[in-house]
Amino acid sequence: MIEKLKALGVNTDEGIKRFMGNTALYERMMAKLPANVRAQNVMKHFENGDMQAALESTHTLKGVTGNLSVTPLYNAYTEAVRLLREDKPEEARAVVESILPIEQEILNCIESSGS
Amino acid sequence: MDKTILIVDDMEINRAILAEGFTDTYNILEAENGEQALEIINKHSDIAAVLLDLLMPKMTGIEVLRELNRTGKINHIPVFIITAADNEDTLTEAYNLGAVDVISKPFIMNFIKSRITNIVELYSHRNELVEVVNEQIEKLNKVNQSMIETLATLIEFRDCESGEHVKRICGLTRILLTSISEDYPEYYIDKYEIEKIVNASILHDVGKIAIPDGILNKPGRLTKEEFEIMKQHTVKGSEMLMHIPAIMDEDTFSYTYDICRHHHERWDGRGYPDGLAGDDITIWAQIVALADVYDALTSPRCYKSAYPHDVALNMIYNGECGTFNPKVLETLRKNEENVKNEHELGLFS
Repeated sequence: MIEKLKALGVNTDEGIKRFMGNTALYERMMAKLPANVRAQNVMKHFENGDMQAALESTHTLKGVTGNLSVTPLYNAYTEAVRLLREDKPEEARAVVESILPIEQEILNCIESSGS
Repeated sequence: MDKTILIVDDMEINRAILAEGFTDTYNILEAENGEQALEIINKHSDIAAVLLDLLMPKMTGIEVLRELNRTGKINHIPVFIITAADNEDTLTEAYNLGAVDVISKPFIMNFIKSRITNIVELYSHRNELVEVVNEQIEKLNKVNQSMIETLATLIEFRDCESGEHVKRICGLTRILLTSISEDYPEYYIDKYEIEKIVNASILHDVGKIAIPDGILNKPGRLTKEEFEIMKQHTVKGSEMLMHIPAIMDEDTFSYTYDICRHHHERWDGRGYPDGLAGDDITIWAQIVALADVYDALTSPRCYKSAYPHDVALNMIYNGECGTFNPKVLETLRKNEENVKNEHELGLFS
């Protein structure tokens, strides 16, 4: 799984280092990412126009993807949080939407690894 | 590992990283919201640090900080804020509520470990020092208290009063002061201060040490000249105290001095030594004065036998022992039974 994620832009070296070199724990936590991402329902909040919930969920995902060094998602959610704080919900939504395909690819990769 | 770290974050992934980083040096406890965190903090007394996420369901990190402030625990446990740091206002509020540092996501574990370890050591050192100082203060207070009691015992040995006089004065002072404080807002005193005053009342007659035996223990009535000398025990007592201020804390000293000097003043200004009148006499000096009179009347002395409780009360109400503040007399009326019980307890104990 590590090599595939690396190919999708995940900085696995940095992530594993953050888990004190414990690759197994890193993989175990990575396996929890898809459920965590889905539970946040980011797009649904945008669709409902609930920007406070959108901010909270993008903020949470920023923290988690940052800690796992899922760099493409981390960068996108960081940008989305910034735009939401600047009261630019449409731009924030565009950023999140633009990352969805890559996000889906990364989540699929994790789930197909079956760890 | 005798130290415990509490990690509070609603995201398991974040908790797992921090737990992995600290598991070699600390016991790890985890909570996924503020409510759980407070439960754990209340249950465990050995928590060396709290790593606290701000945005959580049920109870936010800020609310946890507020509660730790309310209970004073923030002073003993360092709290680190976990954040994907971007909201300056919230972080400012967290710092204002006593958070010691901020841990930014994504975590850089080596920095986090060093910072947390340093602060945990600092706090643990400080907490130990506070404990040592508190133990010393307690010892000191005990020594001071026993010195005060020794002084009071010395006076009673010279005097022919029973050794229980001082204890009864303390008991009566506590009853009357508590009651008047509850009934009259202008005389409100909190219960800690009341205990200090009760303690201070022990030395009200310390000046009697300076009164010659022949006068102090004279079986009959004192002559006018002898009475003038006897009256000096208030002034002598307060002067003596000025030489030994260090045996008690500042507040207790000021109460003791005041009570010692003014427990023979009267409401109408006809008492001694300063002829103070009305509320120029502090309420505690007024209360100890009344307690002293009541106890003198109801106890046997070398020049008289004891009056019964009812007779003593009537003598006080009729003004035979000088004039008292009507509110103080009303307080005595209200507490007649308590006063009687306290007195009898003292007599037979």
